[in-house]
Amino acid sequence: MKYLMRRLAFMLGVLAAVTFLVFSATNVIGDPLFNVVGFYVSVDCDAVIAGEIEDVIGTVAGTGIGECERVIEAREKYHLDDSLPVRYAHWIGGMVQGDFGDSYANQMPVSSIISERLPKSILLMGMSLVVALGVSIPWSVAAAYRANQPLDRASTAGAFGLLSIPGFALAIILFYFFIVRWQIFPSRFMDDNIFSRLHSLVLPAASLGIPLAAVYQRLLRTDLITTLQEDFVITAKAKGLSDRRIMFRHVLRPSMFGMITVVGLNMSALIGGTIIIESIFSIPGFGRELYVSAIRDDITVVLAGVTILSTAFVAINTGVDLLYSYLDPRVRRAG
Amino acid sequence: MAGTLLTVQDLSVGFLTEQGLVRAVEGVSFDLEPGQTLGVVGESGSGKSVTAKALMNLLPSYAQVGGTVDFDGRDVFAMAANRERHFWGVEMTMVFQDPMTSLNPVKKIGEQIAESLRVHLGRSRGDALAEAGDLLEQVGIPEPAKRLSQYPHELSGGLRQRVVIAMALACGPRLLIADEPTTALDVTVQKHILDLLDDLRRARGMAMILITHDLGVVKGRADEVMVMYAGHTMEEAPTATLFAEMHHPYTEALLETIPRIDTPSHTRLVPIPGRPPEVIDVLDGCPFAPRCRYSIARCLTDQPGLTPHGAGHLCACHAPVGTTSGTQARSANELAGTTAAGLDMGQFTRNVPVADLGQSGAAG
Amino acid sequence: MPADTNEHTVGTLGKFATEPAARPADAEPDADRAAQRRLGITFWVCIGWILLVTAAAIAAPLLPISDPDQIGIGPRNSGPTWDQWFGTDGNGRDIFSRTIWGARVSLMVGFFSIVAGFLVGGTIGIVSGYRRGWIDLTLGFITYVMLSFPTLVLFLLVIMLFGQGLWIVTGALSIVVIPSVARLARAITIAFAEREFVSAARLLGATNRRVMVREILPNVLIPMSALLLLGLGLTIVAEGGLAYLGLSVADGFSWGKMIQMGAGLRTLQTAPWVAFFPIGAMFLTVLSLNLAGDRLRQYFDVRELGIGSR
Repeated sequence: MKYLMRRLAFMLGVLAAVTFLVFSATNVIGDPLFNVVGFYVSVDCDAVIAGEIEDVIGTVAGTGIGECERVIEAREKYHLDDSLPVRYAHWIGGMVQGDFGDSYANQMPVSSIISERLPKSILLMGMSLVVALGVSIPWSVAAAYRANQPLDRASTAGAFGLLSIPGFALAIILFYFFIVRWQIFPSRFMDDNIFSRLHSLVLPAASLGIPLAAVYQRLLRTDLITTLQEDFVITAKAKGLSDRRIMFRHVLRPSMFGMITVVGLNMSALIGGTIIIESIFSIPGFGRELYVSAIRDDITVVLAGVTILSTAFVAINTGVDLLYSYLDPRVRRAG
Repeated sequence: MAGTLLTVQDLSVGFLTEQGLVRAVEGVSFDLEPGQTLGVVGESGSGKSVTAKALMNLLPSYAQVGGTVDFDGRDVFAMAANRERHFWGVEMTMVFQDPMTSLNPVKKIGEQIAESLRVHLGRSRGDALAEAGDLLEQVGIPEPAKRLSQYPHELSGGLRQRVVIAMALACGPRLLIADEPTTALDVTVQKHILDLLDDLRRARGMAMILITHDLGVVKGRADEVMVMYAGHTMEEAPTATLFAEMHHPYTEALLETIPRIDTPSHTRLVPIPGRPPEVIDVLDGCPFAPRCRYSIARCLTDQPGLTPHGAGHLCACHAPVGTTSGTQARSANELAGTTAAGLDMGQFTRNVPVADLGQSGAAG
Repeated sequence: MPADTNEHTVGTLGKFATEPAARPADAEPDADRAAQRRLGITFWVCIGWILLVTAAAIAAPLLPISDPDQIGIGPRNSGPTWDQWFGTDGNGRDIFSRTIWGARVSLMVGFFSIVAGFLVGGTIGIVSGYRRGWIDLTLGFITYVMLSFPTLVLFLLVIMLFGQGLWIVTGALSIVVIPSVARLARAITIAFAEREFVSAARLLGATNRRVMVREILPNVLIPMSALLLLGLGLTIVAEGGLAYLGLSVADGFSWGKMIQMGAGLRTLQTAPWVAFFPIGAMFLTVLSLNLAGDRLRQYFDVRELGIGSR
């Protein structure tokens, strides 16, 4: 329990650091006002509202009363007159309550964007992981069982090939064959029901999952072969247990540590890959939105995105550590 | 022989390596009656473990096995070829040397014992665990119920070995093979484990093959002893006979290496000079000849077969200890200063008068 | 010697040999060692390809190939012909030439970013792993923060700040590389710092810095240099992805940019080679780096531990 507390504290510390860094960077480098309203102000809006300066609608952007009203609103809402740390505090406070601010480009609260788009991205990542694990585990077992024989050598060559293809390249290749030539899968995301969604995500998940599967397979295969050399495997054989039972019940679990570590660390790669894949397959997910928002300096969305991504990364890696202690009882004592 | 539990005839095991065929075991034969203990003694590389693994179907695929093994009328190798599922671990089980590495570190002890019961005897999980608890008690582990949910690293070496024994006994085997069961343990614990094995054997009417490099271990605990060297059987006899009148020079040398409690202090330990042969070398004569005090010219060219020397006593030697030919060979060597194989007799620090041979070095 | 041996293969786990103990201890696998010393033909083929691509990239201005930016050098979107070996793109530019020129950016960014990453990350890792204490904790925290920072966002921030010059992009990519390298170097350092020869050096009065440089560094360099090739593969791919999103070097193009230009639905339908040739080039290069890097890793690993391979 104490261990858990310490890990959580560490997690929060990291998140605080990351979010503060991004917040400061975007607010210091860019214009904090532009970040939230999306246009520059070239006049003194207080004066315009007070009627002291002529309302020059339609000639210069950022000088109309309508826009100035928005500016005053934004100043209040986002505490733009306060110092950076204060603004940061307000932002965190709002976030904890679920208020991420508004996206100027989409003219809607960021939280709605998130709730609309994030599930799709999560679905994609989940499917990719399922593909990666579902392919790599049986593959590793088969390869380790026949180590150094023709099948194994061939599969190692194949694994290298697959992990050398960047995700986006594989995506384009799959896109070409399965969508353009053979038209098995739709060219854009079909949102009708859960089945059409899954169907649309098959190729994207494969593009992300298959190179990952190759990476995992190499790791798991090596660890399986090492574990198979252990004495307790001989004991199990001496007990008359079948090869299948020994492999799946005795050997697999202790061999998974290396692979699980990499799964955790690769999370950021997976997330980054999701952004590109969503672009290629036109999936309206959060990754694509994040990218697009970043290009147009829709900072509220970017900040929300960074927070979510970092939280996910840290949470997953903490989960991986906890998983260790579950899988290997020898670690529990130390933890 | 009717009623014999295990009959091994002419067992040989070779390993196909890049350097050629490694002959690990050659022409080993023995019988085992129900409830009997056979001690198999030899140095590392003598082939004793490989013999056990051949019986237990634990050899790798690059092993070539010859001969026959018959367990209560069943052909063991045929069972292996047919992938018989419920023989090993049930009728014939094995205990290994290092209890820390032979237990699965990430599984609870109770589970590991219960596994045999569930897989072979179809017990339910609850029943199997309960029986596992009983087994732990039988092997003398305190607080058995608590141990069931512990992991191997939480126990001491001696306790772990008891767990390994419990695991081997789970399905009521008729033959237990113990390969150096105490070598990895503290000296004080060794006796307890050996006694435990003895008690269990008697209580269950189980036969046992006790493999060790230490001749002292089998004295008083084995009914018969087989001495192996370089994959061959050198001598085979009922224990008492072996210690009273051993005939093979190797056996004699082994006995001499055992330190005795009544020798004066600062007496040098007696090693056997030389090293066991590289098992790849194809030997023409007796494999022990290069290190043997009794070797004569014939030993280098003619491999001796096992000849009987009385009831149940076999010895593979051209100049056995305690016979006229043996005594002559040794004195001739001592006079000449070297053996037929070129071994310098001066290496032997123990000056046992030739006349006293025959009762030499019988350990305590 | 038995006259005829019945050849039963009483096997263990399938065909898999799980019995190193059964092999005689003295039978030194000389054949294995020799195989280990030779890096193998695959390795050299891969190195050959890498060198070829590098040479071509460096020598691009001198090679007798067409101008990569020249529009209309051939018919638009035409496939491979004798004049244009890789065909042309939508603007009629020679893809073969562009592939070679694109290699310049891809390789330069990839190479310098991984080298910088190794230098900085390696230093951090060694210092962290050797000194431990609060230095380790602080550096560890910073490293972890860097690791959890979403890569893309980092790039966007950097680009917002400093633009998209070649060295900016390279620098940003090396920042991404640093935390992973640091972790690795730290782990290796810790493993070594506990060995006797380090204690011996300290007993002889070596300062911390001297120990780190003289004792630890050489031992860390060896396994890590094997990973350099693998890392280079990763950075090339990373640059490719960024270029695809338009976040890479603005002045000039890399393989990733070429892929992006060829990946539109229409282009794929009519002229798939526009994307496929750069994909092929990247794939072969990364594959060679992975195969060679892995072979090197095996080579050093085994020698390190002093055991023959199985």
